[in-house]
Amino acid sequence: MDSPLDEPEGNWWDEAVNRRETLWIALSAGWALSLFGWMIGWTEFGDQNNVGQTYSITPDEFQTKVADFKDRAEDTERGLVPADEDVYVGALQWGWDGLPVVLEAGETYRFHLGSYDVQHGFSVRNEENLSQQMSLQILPDYEWVVEMEFDEPSTYHVVCNEFCGNGHRSMHSTIHVEG
Amino acid sequence: MFGRSTYDYDDDGFRRCSVTGLDIHRSAEDMVKLYGLTAILALAVGGVFAVFVALTRWEVVGLLSPGDFYTYLSIHAWNLLIFWMVFMEIAILYVGGPFVLGRKLALPSLAKAGYVAMLAGAVTVNAAIWLTSYPNNAPLLTSYVPLESSWQFYLGALVFVLGAIVAALPFFATMWREKRENPNATLPLVAFGAFATSIIAFEALVGGVLTYGPALLWRLEILATLDSAFYRQMYWIIGHGSQQINLLAMITVWYFITHVVGGAEVASQKVSRTAFVLYIFFINMGAAHHLMSDPVVSTGWRMWNTSYAAYGAVLASMIHAFAIPAGLEAGRRAKGKGGGLFGWLWSGPWDDPGFSATILSIVLFGFLGGITGVMMGQMQLNMTWHNTLAVPGHFHATVATGTTLAFMGLGYYVLRLVFGREWSLGPIAKIQPFLYGGAMGVTVVMMMYAGVLFGVPRRHPTVMDIPGTEFSFEAAAPFFAIFGVGALVSIVGGALFVVVALATLFTGDEFEGGPVGDLSRTVADGGGSDHEPVHEQSMRGTFVLTLVFFATFVVLTALNWYLLSNIWGIGP
Ligand code: HEM
Ligand SMILES: [Cu+2]
Repeated sequence: MDSPLDEPEGNWWDEAVNRRETLWIALSAGWALSLFGWMIGWTEFGDQNNVGQTYSITPDEFQTKVADFKDRAEDTERGLVPADEDVYVGALQWGWDGLPVVLEAGETYRFHLGSYDVQHGFSVRNEENLSQQMSLQILPDYEWVVEMEFDEPSTYHVVCNEFCGNGHRSMHSTIHVEG
Repeated sequence: MFGRSTYDYDDDGFRRCSVTGLDIHRSAEDMVKLYGLTAILALAVGGVFAVFVALTRWEVVGLLSPGDFYTYLSIHAWNLLIFWMVFMEIAILYVGGPFVLGRKLALPSLAKAGYVAMLAGAVTVNAAIWLTSYPNNAPLLTSYVPLESSWQFYLGALVFVLGAIVAALPFFATMWREKRENPNATLPLVAFGAFATSIIAFEALVGGVLTYGPALLWRLEILATLDSAFYRQMYWIIGHGSQQINLLAMITVWYFITHVVGGAEVASQKVSRTAFVLYIFFINMGAAHHLMSDPVVSTGWRMWNTSYAAYGAVLASMIHAFAIPAGLEAGRRAKGKGGGLFGWLWSGPWDDPGFSATILSIVLFGFLGGITGVMMGQMQLNMTWHNTLAVPGHFHATVATGTTLAFMGLGYYVLRLVFGREWSLGPIAKIQPFLYGGAMGVTVVMMMYAGVLFGVPRRHPTVMDIPGTEFSFEAAAPFFAIFGVGALVSIVGGALFVVVALATLFTGDEFEGGPVGDLSRTVADGGGSDHEPVHEQSMRGTFVLTLVFFATFVVLTALNWYLLSNIWGIGP
């Protein structure tokens, strides 16, 4: 009897394996490889990849960059209209510097994500369809540049989803995408 | 210990267990009782705080103010994920080593010293969280720098981790002595699983020292700064590593209980052991899946670690997912306990809470926890899960449902086989696993829906009312209603376990011994050679079940990728 509580008997390594168990292992290994292949493939063919350059930067330097971005942008009632394709987002306890912004649908923007103090979460969703949503981590001392292109004109809401102190729940801003 | 046991030992301090046939030494048994009961105490504390946490997130009730919410959430997390689990795991190491090998516990004084340090660490952490005041913040589980928590918190965490390392040493020493005395013997599978667990535990705990050591120095202003990306990487070595300890300990318990209570055999020693070895090599890479939506770490690093390497561990889990039910199927068929496709399963001792808790653990862990874990471990899909309520949904399916149920199942048998007491409140014990598992299943699915379909953030006390804006997650309210009810029922289910355990300890009759479940292990063992080898038994029922699992896996993965493909363009 093959009990898990006793020393296995005889030459257990050469004991045959049930045919269905062998099949299952093959199926599982194939699935693992497919998942890996799919992920690699998506970086080539997919439109959603959380990939971009990271730069080291002090919070002060980053804050200066955001201030410069705001200076160059056009100030409108709904938010800042960036001067070019760069958008700077400075997360802080407890708000979003550089937001709200007004963007054009179908244009590619470079989002520069950084923090002035602690870790934050850049969590964005389409107001028309909440399941169109995604999150990126924001770390102090790093600037992360991630491209984004919004196709659908709508209002996109930004909340913080990394705990950043007692005011965490109040961090909210918007990205307006116009057609 | 505690004077609550009904067993006597011989002059050498051993006794033979009438159910498992194991020779158990008092030195190991005392420690199993001590660690096991402390674990249950932590479960009770964490469970009380679950009430507050759940009733705050169900905003119709909205119990706590935001500031209090973070404090209560931190206490909930530390007592359940860390103290309940780790105290129990040390007990499991002492069962998997000394009990199974029929040995004394080596270095028993270290087991006591480790216990004292762990307890001191746990009390310090709880006190530090409770007394958190400005400018410190509640640490939650992760205490990400540079958001400050009190130095006492980091100190308590460090002491706890060091204590756990000390507590693991007697296990290693027991193994070492066994190997020296019997150099050619093969370890029984359960001891082998415990050994794999201990290696992974060791790696994780070293990560813990690298996390809390520097963090403590930073809070004491000995280190001027601590890099947040460095902290995240070190933190997740223990943060995820401790989940791997949970996983391996749970799987070891699955092999143990299905055998003792259900009559399972090992479908293939080679396959199951290879799967444990795969864990040793690959599972730590799983830690990287917490950094999937992070800057700093490169794309290649993320993909290699979470996929190519971590799939070695996923493969191992898929192997156990087959091997354990297959062992049950083969063992029961051989004993004439199952006709047809699923007869072996339906005929099982479902009124035995050890059995039902274990089977529910396997099913719920696999379908709800395992599948979702692999999905959000894919780099791009991670964006839609990261830091949403779906993440607590996932790990409440794994640890809070799967592992907790398995440890409850084991707990029932510790009461019988270690304390020698029959369960008090028998009818409650019978339904408890179903109540807890069923309600938790509903609760976690609601958390996942709210997270992935509505993007509801985790660690957020008021998503229906965000200060300073009209915007809210009102649309998810119906899901929260079901979540709230499910959470309350599961808390009742969890509390009943604690009630039965305490009632058994204090009022339980003497356990008569003899067969448990619906099969006698000793009889089964006696009949060793009168049936065909295990691998020649039919495993068709298990095969059908695992194919259903596989189909679910594929469909859910496809749905998640479909959701992702609907988002706007992100990245190059
Ligand atoms: C009785 C059933 C339980 C209920 C109803 C429950 C409910 C919850 C809820 C609602 C959250 C908050 C999610 C958020 O806002 O982010 C949470 C967090 C958490 N729970 Fe539970 N829980 C239960 C049992 C457990 C168990 C058994 C464990 C561990 C074994 C556990 C570990 C955790 C952890 C680690 C967190 C995350 C804390 C953080 O974000 O740092 N829970 N739980
Ligand atoms: Cu925040």
